[in-house]
Amino acid sequence: MNESATPLIEVRGVEKRFGNGTRGLDAVSLSIRRGEVICIIGPSGCGKSTLLRALNALAPVTAGEVWIEGVCVHRRGVDLDRLRAKVGMVFQQFNLFPHLTALENLMLAPMKVLRQAPSIVRTRALDLLEQVGLADKAHSRPAQLSGGQQQRVAIARALCMQPDVMLFDEPTSALDPEMVGEVLEVMRALAANGMTMCVVTHEMAFARAVATRVVFMEAGRIVYEAAPPSFFDAPANERLREFLSERR
Amino acid sequence: MTGEGDGDRRTWIGHVVAAIVVLGIGASLYFASLQVHYEWRWERVPGYLVSTGGREIVAPFDGTVVLAPDGRSLTLTPLLGGETVRVEGFDRVEISDGDIVFSGNTLGREAGWSAGPLALGLWMTLKISMVSLVFALVLGLGAGLARVSSSVAARDLAALYVELIRGTPLLVQIFIMYFFIGTVLSLSAFAAGVAALAVFTGAYVAEIVRGGIEAIPRGQGEAARSLGMSAWQSMRHVVLPQALRNSSPALAGQFINLIKDSSLVSIMALTDLTKAGREVVSSTFSPFEVWFCVALLYLLLTGSLSWVVRRMERRLAHE
Repeated sequence: MNESATPLIEVRGVEKRFGNGTRGLDAVSLSIRRGEVICIIGPSGCGKSTLLRALNALAPVTAGEVWIEGVCVHRRGVDLDRLRAKVGMVFQQFNLFPHLTALENLMLAPMKVLRQAPSIVRTRALDLLEQVGLADKAHSRPAQLSGGQQQRVAIARALCMQPDVMLFDEPTSALDPEMVGEVLEVMRALAANGMTMCVVTHEMAFARAVATRVVFMEAGRIVYEAAPPSFFDAPANERLREFLSERR
Repeated sequence: MTGEGDGDRRTWIGHVVAAIVVLGIGASLYFASLQVHYEWRWERVPGYLVSTGGREIVAPFDGTVVLAPDGRSLTLTPLLGGETVRVEGFDRVEISDGDIVFSGNTLGREAGWSAGPLALGLWMTLKISMVSLVFALVLGLGAGLARVSSSVAARDLAALYVELIRGTPLLVQIFIMYFFIGTVLSLSAFAAGVAALAVFTGAYVAEIVRGGIEAIPRGQGEAARSLGMSAWQSMRHVVLPQALRNSSPALAGQFINLIKDSSLVSIMALTDLTKAGREVVSSTFSPFEVWFCVALLYLLLTGSLSWVVRRMERRLAHE
């Protein structure tokens, strides 16, 4: 099997039941191949974020299989921390570490998890901060940054671990409208550089422009998936047509 | 309408009212003491803090004294035979030529200042509080982490510890530690006191630590885990530093309580500030002055601790 054929992340028939019996995910299968940009859309509460947390084994699933880089995460003795280190994640609420500066936020995990030398990590971190346009904020604390700036630091923090794939959980939903653009711009540049990405989003224009594949979820199931042109212009699914028309 | 000047004046009047109330209480205490014909002897109090009586020089063994003509030294001949020893350095000899003394008897004094009983008690209180504080921190941190750990056994044990300690009086715990555990392990009074105070305070520190950890948003731990950190790394580098900083006022309050609670160790053979106060009272019959003085010394310790903590908090806030 050559490398491009092995999905970076694959879920097969995963199911997630919550304590109260409701089903967050229901027989969901999805694979993410190298170089793909997958956008997941759907009404709120449809299981998008739950699926994303299953993709890096942050939340355990109740049935089905999750494979990261060809390793089944449910097998006994699997080092989950090491698998997760290869999967970057960006959160809706940024979740920067408030007691550390922007630069320290970037440097913490590579030093503690990958045990890389501080000088090497520092150079890479400063490079990344420059890439997201925040070279001058390296020594600021998260509280001193705007929402858009915090989210860009969060993206740089995930990238500093040199992941193979990046997951985004509604990265612009908590932002003031005027800050959405700067974050999407960083994500666009990332996709243009060939980063494999899986993005849960409500930004249809972004999904249409950047995605290689768009997935529509409803009630814990993947209802429809297609490449952007047919997904947005000629969706062969009644519920998706309704969903899209509500958004226009 | 209340303008800014109006608010200022009201604040000022409030301060004056408070001062009048305090003075009133002080005056009524004074008149109450007149009622019981109490004789105030404030001039004696400094002597309990710093003694000018000098250092006692005692006989090293049983013997017969022969005073030297200079009045500052003497020779002691052992009763049971042996070498005659010369004792020097007296500023005042309190014994007569030819006296027979026994080992430990006072021969005389060397002038100079030495710590009085209250100062010695203050030092003991400070020492036992600080040593207990260190152990309480370690114990509380461990138990607090156990309270939120994923291990059910660790959670159970920590919960049991906290409930047992918080549900029983400190005085009873001190008795158990001193008479039971102290006897079994043959602990010194100091070690038993430190153990009792550390175990007691540790339970409260554990609850403060647990509360601090639980108040940190879940997203912090999630972000750390998503970066590949282990549960312990996430706790150690992300959650705990924030939790401890947020709960530092509560921790400071607990340590001030520790200093005050340490007065209970005076029931063991430990001469802390409270025990020293009791000893001075029983030998001088000046309870009012001595207890006021003891309270003031406790206030000095707790006040300076909270001052240090406030300064540290301000420094952290600036960061």
